[in-house]
Amino acid sequence: MVETLLAIGIVASIFVGFNIGGSSTGIAWGPPVGAGIVKKTTAAALMTFFVFLGGWTVGRNVMDTLSEGIITIDLTLSAGVAVLFFIGTGILIANIFGVPVPTSMTTVGAIAGLGLATDTLNYVTIAEIVSWWVVTPIIGFWVGGIIGRYIYPEVNRRVQIEKSDGPLLILDRDGTIPKPAFGPNTTWSEIGSTAVVLVIGCYMAFSAGASNVPNAAAPLVGEAGLEANIAIVIATLAIGFGGFTIARRTMDSVGGELSDIPLLAALFVMVTASTITTLLSWIGIPISLVMATVMTIVGIGWGRATRPVTFREAVTRDTEQSEIVPGAITAEEMEGEPAAPIGEEEPEEVLNAGDLFNPRAVMKYVSMWIIGPAVSTLLAYGFFILVPGVA
Amino acid sequence: MVSRILVPMDDSDHASQALEYALDNYPDGEISVLHVVGVPSMMMGEATALALEDDLSEAAAKRSEPVFERAHEIADEQGREINTVVEIGHPARQILDRAEEYDTIVLGAHGADWSRATRRFLVGNVTETVSKRAPVPVVIVR
Repeated sequence: MVETLLAIGIVASIFVGFNIGGSSTGIAWGPPVGAGIVKKTTAAALMTFFVFLGGWTVGRNVMDTLSEGIITIDLTLSAGVAVLFFIGTGILIANIFGVPVPTSMTTVGAIAGLGLATDTLNYVTIAEIVSWWVVTPIIGFWVGGIIGRYIYPEVNRRVQIEKSDGPLLILDRDGTIPKPAFGPNTTWSEIGSTAVVLVIGCYMAFSAGASNVPNAAAPLVGEAGLEANIAIVIATLAIGFGGFTIARRTMDSVGGELSDIPLLAALFVMVTASTITTLLSWIGIPISLVMATVMTIVGIGWGRATRPVTFREAVTRDTEQSEIVPGAITAEEMEGEPAAPIGEEEPEEVLNAGDLFNPRAVMKYVSMWIIGPAVSTLLAYGFFILVPGVA
Repeated sequence: MVSRILVPMDDSDHASQALEYALDNYPDGEISVLHVVGVPSMMMGEATALALEDDLSEAAAKRSEPVFERAHEIADEQGREINTVVEIGHPARQILDRAEEYDTIVLGAHGADWSRATRRFLVGNVTETVSKRAPVPVVIVR
C-alpha cells in the first residue's frame, strides 16, 4: 500500500516537474533560442544541468521551508501526494486555459491549506512568505523601471549584440587533430556576446532549479518517504524531460513573446528576475520565477514608456498637464533625459507610449499572482477538512 | 453627407468579415480601419518591445502592416479606398477614444485569441465593451 502510494506520488512529482520544465525552459531559453544563438536541444541540455545545480544547492533551503517550515508537522506520504495533486491541478489549469499559475505559490497555498485544516500552520513562516510575495513584484517592477528609464537606453546605444550568418565555431580539420576555429563571419565581439547570453541563460536555469525543483520534490521528502537527494534527482530528470519535449512549444509561445523584446532588454530581465529568485530561494522563500520575470518586463516597459515625462509625473499620472503647457519645463524635468528632448511640440497623431502601461493594466498583473495561491489554499483547505484521514 | 465608418480590426477572420460588411453596406461611406498594437499579453512582450523603440510611431506602423495589408486587399477587391489608423495599448479604450469622430462603428463579433483566458482577463471582450459604451451606433458582424 505504502509502495503504491509512493509510486503514485513519484508519478505526480514527475508530472509536476515535466510541466515546470516546459514552462521554465521556455522562459530561460526563449530569448537566446529566438535570437538563433543556441539550438533548442543545447538549451534543454544546459537547462537540465543548471536546474540540477540550482535544486541541489540553493533549492534545499526552499525545500526545508516547504516540507517543514510552513506546517509544524512533517508532511505525511498521503498528504504529500495530495499536495502534489493540487500543484498538478494548478499546472493543468494553466495549460488548458493558458492562464499563468505561479507554481511556487500554488505549492505554498496547498501546503498552507493543509496546515489550516489540521491546525498546524506556522503563521510566522507563512506571514514572512506572503510579505515577500507582496514586496517581490514591487521590487521587480521598480528595478525594471529603473533599467528601462535610465540604464537600458544608455547601454543600448553602446552595445550591439551580433549574430553573423554561418556557424559561430567550426572544426578546423586541416591538421591531424581537428581543432575549433571561428566560423566564416565570426568576430570576437560575437563570441563575447554569445558567451554572455549563454551565461545568463544558465543563470536563469539555475534560479529556475532553485525555485522550482522543490515544488516537485519537497512533498515527497522526509516522513513521506524519499531521500532529499533522490527527490531532487527525480525532479531534475522530470524537468529536463519537459525541457527536451514540451519546451519546444513553450519556447515558441512564452519564449516567443519574450523574444519579441530586444535581446539586450531580455537579458536585463533575465538577470534581474534570476537574481530576485535566487536570493529569495537562498533565504528559503518560495517564489515564482515567472512572476519575477513578468513584473520586471512590465517595469522595464513602463519605465521606458514614461520616459518623456518626469519621474514624479509618471507616478502621479499628471502627464496631460505637461503636454499642454510647453512653457513649464523646469530644470527638474530635464534630469537624466538627454536622449529625448522634453516638451517639444509633438505632431498631432503622436502615439502616447504611456497607453501601453496604464496603472489599471499593471494592477491586473498583480492580481493574477493573488488569485492562484488563494484558490489553491482554499481548495486544499476544503479537501483536507472533508477528507481528514489523508493528513 | 458622407458617413464616416470606423472598422477596428485585428488579425482575426471576424475582423475581415466586419470590413467586408462595412464595404458592402456603406457604399458611399468613408471607411477607416483602426488597428491597435502593443495589446496587453501574458508577458507584455509586444507592449514592452514597442516601449523600447526609439521611434514609437514607426514601430507601431510596422507592426500593423500585416493587418492593413489585408484590409487594403479586401478593399481593393471592391475598388474602394480606406484610411488606416494605428493606435497602441488597450483596444477597447482606443476604439472608444476615437468613437466620436465617426458615425458608426462596425466590428467583428470577437477578435483573435478570444478563447485564451489570459487574453480575456487582460484585454476583456472588446466587442462587448465597445457596444456598451460607444457614443455612436455599433454594428456587430457575425
